[in-house]
Amino acid sequence: MTIRFPAALPDAPRLASAGRRVSASLRKRRSLSTAALVLYAVSVALLLGLGSAHWAVLADYPFGKIKAGAWQAAPRVGSREADPYARAVLARTAEIPLAIGEGLALTATQDSSGRTLDAGCAYRVGRATPQARYWTLTLYDADGRPVASELRRSGFTSAEVLRDQDGGFSVVIGREPKPGNWLQAPESGRLGLALRLYDTPVATGMANLDPRVFPSIERLECGP
Amino acid sequence: MSDPARFLFATLCGLVLAGIVHLSAVLAMPWLSERDAFSRLRPTLTADKSELVAAPAATDTWLPRTDPAVAVSACAYNLDEGPVRISANTGALFQSLSFHTKGGGTFFAITDRAAVRGVLELVVMTRRQLDEALAAEDEDEPSTDVRIVAPRGEGLVVVRALAAFPSLRGAAEDAAKSVSCTIDQPPASQ
Repeated sequence: MTIRFPAALPDAPRLASAGRRVSASLRKRRSLSTAALVLYAVSVALLLGLGSAHWAVLADYPFGKIKAGAWQAAPRVGSREADPYARAVLARTAEIPLAIGEGLALTATQDSSGRTLDAGCAYRVGRATPQARYWTLTLYDADGRPVASELRRSGFTSAEVLRDQDGGFSVVIGREPKPGNWLQAPESGRLGLALRLYDTPVATGMANLDPRVFPSIERLECGP
Repeated sequence: MSDPARFLFATLCGLVLAGIVHLSAVLAMPWLSERDAFSRLRPTLTADKSELVAAPAATDTWLPRTDPAVAVSACAYNLDEGPVRISANTGALFQSLSFHTKGGGTFFAITDRAAVRGVLELVVMTRRQLDEALAAEDEDEPSTDVRIVAPRGEGLVVVRALAAFPSLRGAAEDAAKSVSCTIDQPPASQ
């Protein structure tokens, strides 16, 4: 079967010019909306890209965390292998991280049961720490500054902490004075704890750490 | 292409571009930042001694989340003018030196345990400067310097000294401040 095409329509020139007009007007409508779409794509890219980059470096180091009970650390931040996000966080905060050969800095913002540390509650931190030449335990306020208390004490070092007969220690954090190792909590707000182990063999292990050798953070009682 | 399809295509393009923007912003941040540790310590480039960044229990420091038992000092270096010799006298206190590059990344750290007769002495140099030093060296009398190759020309040496008791805070501050970082003059050629 063959299909015959008419060699030429009688009004072909008229049709062709009409077609050109239609396609021209179509192109005109298209070109406007293409510009709008390009603008839309670029603004999506800028808003999402810059927004997500800002958000990713706003808080803590996003990758390479190791955990030990309530404590967590990002040891690779203090090494050659610091990831780009960690480098960006360092650029934003101006922090100088502890290098792996110097020690390991662990932070806690929750107690051992996973509840956020709050100045309204009292906490007991203690018993043992991993092997280290020195360690320091520091209490920070919601803004990340060492707490300013009337006793001018915001932490303990391993040398000055009072220990019991079997060598363990316990530090009580709270508003009310307690005998022994007591850290005065600020009036209100969230709390942060940092445990820094100086000259420790722990830093070489990259896997998750054994929580039993780290001090536990136990919530005692909460005020009104 | 129909309009919804074109819109979808534009959204996809936007998302892909957003990924590129995100990655470039994160990668560029350490280089564009003017508030990172290196930029803040840039004035110490010419100093011969480390400068105190945070005294123990200091409240007036830009360094975030400081350890109140530790004195932190630093000096910035630029290896373009030659290798930098770092020399620290160690005492009874815990003391550590760490080496950071501009733009983040810590490439070396050492504690006072490695001190020889109470002195920690190191030379920071680029790979090229190390090659030159090795080439110029007398084979029978090799240098005893501890040489550290820095990945980049600009960086920071950070000194930490720990005061185990509040009464040692002054001593820790002095120890942190007394580290010398000078440009190592090449020995005069014979």
